Amino acid sequence: MTEPAPWVYSDIVKEHFLNPRNFLMGDEAAYSHDAEGVVGNPVCGDQMKMFIRVKDDRITDLRWKTYGCASAIASTSALSELAKGRTLDEALLIGPDEITEFLGGLPKHKFHCSVLGHEALRAAITNYRAR
Amino acid sequence: MRQVYLDYAATAPLLPVAKAAMIDALGARYGNASALHSAGHKAVCRIEEARVAIARLLNADPEEIIFTSGGSEANNTVAEIFRGRKIATSAIEHPSVLESMLTRASEFRTIPVDHEGRVDPLTVPMDVDMASVMLANNEIGTLEPIAEIAKHCKKHNIFLHTDATQAFGKIKIDVKALGVDYLTISAHKIGGPIGIGALFIRKGAPYRPLIIGGHQEWNRRAGTSNTVGIIGFGAAVNWCWDNWSCRLFGDKVQSLRDQLRTRILEKVPYSSCNSPKDDCLPNILNMSFQAAEGESIQLYLDAEGIMVSTGSACAAGDIKPSHVLMATSGNAEVAHSSIRFSLGLDTTQDDINYVMQVLPGVIRRLQGMSTIKIKEEHD
Repeated sequence: MTEPAPWVYSDIVKEHFLNPRNFLMGDEAAYSHDAEGVVGNPVCGDQMKMFIRVKDDRITDLRWKTYGCASAIASTSALSELAKGRTLDEALLIGPDEITEFLGGLPKHKFHCSVLGHEALRAAITNYRAR
Repeated sequence: MRQVYLDYAATAPLLPVAKAAMIDALGARYGNASALHSAGHKAVCRIEEARVAIARLLNADPEEIIFTSGGSEANNTVAEIFRGRKIATSAIEHPSVLESMLTRASEFRTIPVDHEGRVDPLTVPMDVDMASVMLANNEIGTLEPIAEIAKHCKKHNIFLHTDATQAFGKIKIDVKALGVDYLTISAHKIGGPIGIGALFIRKGAPYRPLIIGGHQEWNRRAGTSNTVGIIGFGAAVNWCWDNWSCRLFGDKVQSLRDQLRTRILEKVPYSSCNSPKDDCLPNILNMSFQAAEGESIQLYLDAEGIMVSTGSACAAGDIKPSHVLMATSGNAEVAHSSIRFSLGLDTTQDDINYVMQVLPGVIRRLQGMSTIKIKEEHD
C-alpha cells in the first residue's frame, strides 16, 4: 500500500496558498493603483479584489486581496502571475481554464473560485477603461 | 513536524484496548452470531457482554440497546419509527437527524434555539408525536436541558429522542434520569471503531426496524452482527467506565479547553467565542476570527501540523455556512470564519502551547490579506 496524498489540493495550489504571490497586505491605500475591481460577497464566503497599475495599455503591476478558501487564495495568486505584463486585451482573455491549468487542476467543486478571480480582474480592467 | 490533533469530535483515535480486543476478535474464528453452533455461540456471548457494558454506562437495561452501523443509522431508525407522524427537532441537530426526520414526517416543525444554541423546553410544540433534541451540540458544544424537555414532552404525550453522540463518554448519561425514550450513541467518538453505534429504546416505546429481513437484535435490526466492531465498542465503553472518563473530561480536558479559549481571546485579534461559557461539553471550543475564512484557517493550521475543523464547508460550487452558527448568530460572516477545536484525553499542555504559537500569526496573515475591513466595535 502506498501512502495517500496528505493534501486535498495539488502541490502548485498548496504552494500558491501557503506562499501567495502579489497579495496586498494590510491597508489598500498603501498601494497606488490605476484601477480596481471587486467580485463576490463575504456573506457567500468568497470575495476578491484586484488592484492594477497600467501603462500603455499593459498591466505593469498588480495586487490583490481575498477573503475565501484555499483554492480562492491560490487561484487569485495564480491569476496575478498570469496577468502581470499582459496587455489589457490579453488579460481579458484569461479564463478559468487557464488558471486551473496553471495550478495543475482544482477539485471539481472548487472550480467556481477561479472563475471569481478572473471576474475581479475583468472588473478592474472595466473600471480602468471607464476612467 | 509536530502533529496536534484537535478534531476529536469528528473522530477520536482508537483506544489501545479497543484495538487489542478487535485484533484478538479478528483471529478468534467467531461464527455468525445467529448460528447455534459453538463458534456462533461464542460470538453471541461476546456481543452480549458488550451490550451489558453499554447498558451499564447509560443506566439502561441490556434489552433496551440495539446495535446499529453508527449514529446516523440510529437516528434514521428513530425517524423510521415515526414515519408519517408529526415530528419536531431543534434547529441545530446533526444532518442525520434533520434530514431523516424532515423526509419522513407528515408535518415537520423546527424548535428554535437562543444565541447559545439552547432550546427552551416550553417551545417544544405540544401537538407533535415525537421530538428530537440533541444532548450536546457537535459544533459548539451546547448542552440541552433534556431532562426538562422530557418532563414537558411527557405532559403532552410526546415521545423524546436525544442524539447523545457527542455527549457520550464526556458527561454522565443516565437514561432514566433524563427521561428520554430513545438515545443515540456512536463508538468512534469515544475511541471505539468507526462503523458501529447503538440506539437505546426505552422498554414500551414504539419501535419499527429500519433494516428488515433478519431476526437479529430481537427482530429490531436485520443483518449479520458486526461482531468485531461490537467487541471494539464494548472495550472502549469498559475503558470509559473503568477510568471514569467523564471525570477526566470534566477535569483535565475542560481546564485545557478553558485555557485555550482565554488565551485565544487575549492573543488573537478580533476573535470571538461561539461556544457557551456554561453548560457546554468540556472538550469543544468554537471560535470565529473576523475577516479570516474558516477553510483557509484550517489548511494554514494543517500546514503547521494542527488539525481542526471548520463550520464553513465549501461544496458543489456553493459555500454553505454552518446551520448551527446561522441559528445561533444569524451572521454568515461569523459562520464562514469559524473554527472548531475539539480536545481529547490525549491533548496536552504542550499541544495548547503549540496552537498558541502558530494560530495568532495565521489569523493575522489571513486578516491582512482579506477584503473584509475589520469592524473595531466587534472586538
